[in-house]
Amino acid sequence: MPHLQTQDTITAIATAAGRGGIGIVRVSGPLTKHIAQKILKTVPTPRQVHTTKFYAADGSIIDDGIALYFVAPHSFTGEDVLELQGHGGAIVLDQVLKRTIEGGARLARPGEFSERAFLNDKIDLTQAEAIADLIDASSEQAARAAMRSLQGEFSKKINHLVEQLIHLRTYVEASIDFPEEEIDFLSDGKVQQQVEQIKTQLTDVLAAAQQGVLLKDGITVVIAGKPNAGKSSLLNCLSERDSAIVTEVAGTTRDVLREHIQIDGLPLHILDTAGLRHSEDLVEQEGIRRAWLEISKADLILLVIDSTDNEINNADYFEKNYSDIFALNKPIIIVFNKIDLSGTCNVPLHASLSLSAKTGAGLPELKQAIKKLVGFQPHNENNFLARRRHLDALERAQNYLQQGSIQLTEQRAGELLAEDLRQAQNCLNEITGEFTSDDLLGRIFSSFCIGK
Amino acid sequence: MNLKQQFDVIVIGGGHAGTEAATAAARAGANTLLLTHNIETLGQMSCNPSIGGIGKGHLVKEIDALGGVMARAIDQAGIQFRILNSSKGAAVRATRAQADRILYKQAVRTILENQENLTLFQEAVDDLMLENDHVVGVITQTGLKIKAKTVVLTAGTFLDGKIHIGQNNYRGGRAGDPPSIALAQRLRGYNLRVGRLKTGTPPRIDGRTVDFSVLGVQAGDDPVPVFSFMGDRSEHPRQIPCHIAYTNEKTAQIIRDNLGLSAMYSGNIEGIGPRYCPSIEDKIVRFADKLSHQVFIEPEGLNTHELYPNGLSTSLPFEVQVDFIRSMKGFENAHLLRPGYAIEYDFFDPRDLKPSLETKQIHGLFFAGQINGTTGYEEAAAQGLIAGLNAARKAQDKLSWTPRRDEAYIGVLIDDLITRGTLEPYRMFTSRAEYRLLLREDNADLRLTAIGRDLSLVDDHRWQSFCTKRDSVIIETERLKKLWVSPVSELVHSVNAILEKPLLKDQNALDLLRRPEINYAQLMSVDCFAPGVTDEKVAEQVEIQAKYSGYIDRQEQDIEKQRRYEELMIPDDFTYNGISGLSNELQQKLTQIRPTTVAMAMRMPGMTPAATSLLLVHLKKRQKIMNVA
Repeated sequence: MPHLQTQDTITAIATAAGRGGIGIVRVSGPLTKHIAQKILKTVPTPRQVHTTKFYAADGSIIDDGIALYFVAPHSFTGEDVLELQGHGGAIVLDQVLKRTIEGGARLARPGEFSERAFLNDKIDLTQAEAIADLIDASSEQAARAAMRSLQGEFSKKINHLVEQLIHLRTYVEASIDFPEEEIDFLSDGKVQQQVEQIKTQLTDVLAAAQQGVLLKDGITVVIAGKPNAGKSSLLNCLSERDSAIVTEVAGTTRDVLREHIQIDGLPLHILDTAGLRHSEDLVEQEGIRRAWLEISKADLILLVIDSTDNEINNADYFEKNYSDIFALNKPIIIVFNKIDLSGTCNVPLHASLSLSAKTGAGLPELKQAIKKLVGFQPHNENNFLARRRHLDALERAQNYLQQGSIQLTEQRAGELLAEDLRQAQNCLNEITGEFTSDDLLGRIFSSFCIGK
Repeated sequence: MNLKQQFDVIVIGGGHAGTEAATAAARAGANTLLLTHNIETLGQMSCNPSIGGIGKGHLVKEIDALGGVMARAIDQAGIQFRILNSSKGAAVRATRAQADRILYKQAVRTILENQENLTLFQEAVDDLMLENDHVVGVITQTGLKIKAKTVVLTAGTFLDGKIHIGQNNYRGGRAGDPPSIALAQRLRGYNLRVGRLKTGTPPRIDGRTVDFSVLGVQAGDDPVPVFSFMGDRSEHPRQIPCHIAYTNEKTAQIIRDNLGLSAMYSGNIEGIGPRYCPSIEDKIVRFADKLSHQVFIEPEGLNTHELYPNGLSTSLPFEVQVDFIRSMKGFENAHLLRPGYAIEYDFFDPRDLKPSLETKQIHGLFFAGQINGTTGYEEAAAQGLIAGLNAARKAQDKLSWTPRRDEAYIGVLIDDLITRGTLEPYRMFTSRAEYRLLLREDNADLRLTAIGRDLSLVDDHRWQSFCTKRDSVIIETERLKKLWVSPVSELVHSVNAILEKPLLKDQNALDLLRRPEINYAQLMSVDCFAPGVTDEKVAEQVEIQAKYSGYIDRQEQDIEKQRRYEELMIPDDFTYNGISGLSNELQQKLTQIRPTTVAMAMRMPGMTPAATSLLLVHLKKRQKIMNVA
């Protein structure tokens, strides 16, 4: 078996997502040196620790950190390797990752670094099975599964886009392979128009994906409930700082308070809102109005209940007090607070748990519940990374469409456009699944009466 | 001829696969015997009288670049030549020729009879002689036993062939020829997977009963194209046009009224027909809103009135065929010379073949042509050439050769067949080739002739001619690269005169040739670039390479990335069972197909990048264990 040197350069975030503190991006392959030059503006001396800045394409600074450079074959994988250790959270780390992709690397598949290490004799035979386990063939389905699990709009847009592209390719390819058939081929102008439409759609999808709640902004969690249920205490407890003023006085929080936190790498916007009650106080009224506005926009609602409140044992308690919140049909976690005072609370409802924002008891369970509810799994190919793969595929598809469009306008060359459309489709196939040349022929034969 | 001697290679069948197989084996230096049930039908065109077309013309040029028969024969037999897609780019342009059937057969026979190392013999083959898993010869219908080191079977549609016309059916290999039933039965006993396919052919019409004055005329191209790289216009016989007719609503009505009588629609046919070559019944049913279908009226030859109505393949009863033909304008009084029919035949699952086209089950036995599930003369001929070559090389104890997907359409064809199999008769289309921009008709010689020379397939004459062209292209390209023009020089005015957008920076003549509005002749009209080359093939090649350069570079990079996987061999005895992480389905498929390289495994349906990684890790593991042992 030959030494596997001349191949793709791969990149990945090497730390488990969002384990706080340091995040590492690792690059391996022939383009490593080139990528180091781009991000660090210098190539570090091999095997030495460099404190350095990571630069964006426009020269601005993404993060401060440490860079380690290893030259083949003296590295973990046996190839040139670059390790970038930064301080930033998931978003900053993602920017660093993106820079390495711009430099020519592609996202590594699970287990791929170890695979290379093994193939390059850096890992001994006894570990072969362990590496094979890492590569678990099912994991690459994760990206696709992730797309399906994402809420409708993105997935619908991608499928529509692919369908449009296939439709156009059906015409373009049929005009090449069946010029003698009586097919109403699209005029060049019409083809151009469709290419432009697909380009516009792709740009939209990209924008939508980039603004995807998980990736960029995190999800928005609104803490709601009656006055003095302990909402602000919960905010402080989750954010591990005293952002909100906490008093015994019901109605202390008048305006909406915002905190940005991460749970194991999952970015969250947490909003603390004014307690919901009927109030004569003008300022408080405005606060409550704003609270409702935020509640209606939330991805997830933490409904905080004071577990010392005797009324909660009434059968119609929720019906009476919170029916308008439930009517929103949003994901809700009901949090019974103040168990330090009430003793262990018998949690009466399905999507609920109990905790003490004061002592922190029950907090890990709440974090777990939030992650579970948004489908976030930090240890596997998670949605976060899946999104990065999607973005990457979409961006490559966009480049091909751009080139194809130029070929058609400037070179009037249909077969070159066809080639770019084929490549664009290959990129999108990474998201939506395989579409072979035979599948395309099937489309042609069912769309047109071919048969000379 | 001494039939007692042992031949290196026996080729069974004298169709397009058989003739290429026999001549390729003989050219490669093997003592070769071609057995056919009828010498008169060598090189017979049993369906449409034409060669080439999109994708198919590409195959013909590749066969020619490797010294094959087909292009040379059609140059001597073609009565109408056209370049399809001439308004599009070079990569998708393709040559197509109408043939005079008689002239074509004659040309093929002349080539066969003059081929050194090749013996012809008329005798049907009933059985193979086997020793263990090795083929050692054949047994003919009259009981003759002929020994050979390897055997190439090119039985076309003759294996258990069954012809359907309306409700009637009978056994036959082609209208007028007997099927090979005995051989088919023997082969079914050899543990090879067998399937059933269907194809069809239209009725033939007597041209004296057709009113051509109301039909459209389709003339050939002027100047007349040439197929072979060694060919010349002067070889062509007289050129005549084709005609175009149309079905109408009455035609459709007749067909609809009689659908129940069609063999296709009454459930008599179990074989699967091609999606791209439907019968007229199929077209009327599936595209009901299309009121008229175009029919190409192709002459069968210069000295016959027989016409081939391309697009009217049918298995309706003969009386209905007469009725619907006569419903077309110009055909009111048409006389049908032969009925159209559908034919069902056995084919062997091509996934049981190695890339050399040798069967995995029986050593030394090679399959080529329609028995592998393909359709078309060109597809058959391409396989014939590779099977014949490899049968010869096996007899000579040499390694086999099959072009890669990035080298030739022949490579795409064989790789598709052996990795994916086929559910319908397989035909070539350019959209099947991921390296379409590299695999052009115009550069088939540049891609393959040097390889063909190494394989002893290419004779001195072709080799010399090829070297001259190849070198001229390189020299002219280098010359153009060195001719620089600056926007501030005196020369710029004469250059700008031929450009759409004036020169803005220093450019060389090759850069200018990349512009869409400039061709080679225009470039040479400018004094500072003249005189240029006179050989139009060289000029064309320089121009095409310039126009496609960006894309060619990109595809070559893709190929480079793929190459290491192409070179990574998987040992024959590698076990896939028990590779954790690989699905059971994939383990089974891999065990069945036994891909020879990692690249081939990667192209199998269902393979994913992770599955490839697992395969690599386990290959490495095996190698490490072997090194330790």
